[in-house]
Amino acid sequence: MNPNKSPFRYVPWFMRDLAIWPGSLFLLASVGLAFAIRKVSRSFMGDISITEAQEAVTMIQGQTFHAILLVAVLMAMGGVIGTDQHRGWYRAWFSKPIAPWWYYLQRFLLAAVLVLMMPLVFGLGLSLFTTGGTGITSALLGIIALGFLLYGSAVMLASVFTSRDWLIVFIVAFFQNQVATFSRMGLIKPPPWMRVLHDALPPTHLIDTTGPMLSGNALLHVAGYGVAMLLAALLLLKYRPLGSGGRA
Amino acid sequence: MIQFDQVGKTYTALVTRKRVDALSDFSLEMRRGEVVGIAGPNGAGKSTLISLLMGFLQPTSGSVRIDGKPPRAYVESSGVSYLTELVNLPPRWKVPTALSRLATLAGVPASERDGKVRETMARLGLEEHAAKQVKQLSKGNLQRLGLAQALLGDFDIVVLDEPTHGLDPLWTQRFRDVVAELRRPDRVIVIASHNLDELERLADRVAILNRGRLQRVVEHGGAVTESAARAWRVAFEGTPDFGGAFAGATAVEGRPGVWRVTATGAELSAALARLLTDGAVLTECAPEESRLETAFRTAVQS
Repeated sequence: MNPNKSPFRYVPWFMRDLAIWPGSLFLLASVGLAFAIRKVSRSFMGDISITEAQEAVTMIQGQTFHAILLVAVLMAMGGVIGTDQHRGWYRAWFSKPIAPWWYYLQRFLLAAVLVLMMPLVFGLGLSLFTTGGTGITSALLGIIALGFLLYGSAVMLASVFTSRDWLIVFIVAFFQNQVATFSRMGLIKPPPWMRVLHDALPPTHLIDTTGPMLSGNALLHVAGYGVAMLLAALLLLKYRPLGSGGRA
Repeated sequence: MIQFDQVGKTYTALVTRKRVDALSDFSLEMRRGEVVGIAGPNGAGKSTLISLLMGFLQPTSGSVRIDGKPPRAYVESSGVSYLTELVNLPPRWKVPTALSRLATLAGVPASERDGKVRETMARLGLEEHAAKQVKQLSKGNLQRLGLAQALLGDFDIVVLDEPTHGLDPLWTQRFRDVVAELRRPDRVIVIASHNLDELERLADRVAILNRGRLQRVVEHGGAVTESAARAWRVAFEGTPDFGGAFAGATAVEGRPGVWRVTATGAELSAALARLLTDGAVLTECAPEESRLETAFRTAVQS
């Protein structure tokens, strides 16, 4: 046997897994949502101009991903490493000639592709059922990519330590968004410890798919934090043993 | 090929900081071409030793090297045929799918994968379970699936942790044949097991662990010297007076003609020779426990 040591040899299996879950759900939800919007737009919007329809569809895309981006990333990435470790599956995977950091990096990148395909599929559905086009803008795709980088890397990093990675990231995102929203609205004046925590945690509050593409310091903050967390996760996978006990 | 050099592993509880020495000062070299057994009671450190060998744990002290490399570096570049003590695979995977995925990771080329999976399933009697999910397999069948996935790659190191756990006697026997087939001059096979009979049959050397320490290494056919007295069971046709021929022999209660005696091989041979010359018919003569069992008992009790 001439072994196939291609570093990409497991990619087809990852793609199959992601297509089945959560890909099939994403597809179903995207088409279903687009179809529902068609019904609603016919009932309430009446005859509108093409420009107004395009603006409405763009707004629908932005609002939809504002609501679901975090959940979509958690579904695509949740438990990615932690479950393998917790259940002991890693012992079968990593007795084979493949490095854990590379295995999970491929999984991360394919999940990113899946999440980035969501607005495309949803947009295709919108263009079929409405007159407003796909509603896809470069800003929307850019923010979704940054959102995946930030949320996905946070899940990767948390997943090195626990299979409840999704819960940790959900709590962090909830805290960050609440602090940012209430501060902006002037509802609270965060105490110093909360401000320090808010600045130190991943800047998930900067991910807003309804707004323009991030730029300047905000872009650097989000991209830098995301890349740093991803690198930290990969370094931990390279240097930190996967087991925690004789049988664990 | 595999070198353990004064390896120690201590587990420290996260909260209480209580420390447990799972392995202490363990040194052993495992060479190509040999089958090395690891024996020891529960908690002796066998699984920790295997995890260190696979690079899933790092030693607290000392070093483990495989062909001069740290274990993780070796495994990531070359791979190891590894059967875990507790076979864990995603429960919803079907048997052929699980094997096909793991064959992919093992580096089996796509063109040969299906054939390799079919061949391995046939070898381990898994064909009739092809439609089942992993979660639907019995303990024994799951163990066979674990062994099957370990055999997919063609690696120079084979590590089997409690390989016959859950197997019926028929498959335990077949497992021995599989190990015999796996032997080759450039390969080292490591078997950790509670089953001393199995290790005695398969291993060239057996390292006996107790409380995290290497107690002794029993070489195949050696180590426990022939001059040491052992317990024997001896049986004759009829009821010759073995007790008269050998002081200290005691008749086994309720079994006429069966005797138990503690003697060296030389002493027993001499006594038997006298009786056989006098016309006694010997029907059984076997040690009450194997050499390895004797060595194990001595090592664990010391």
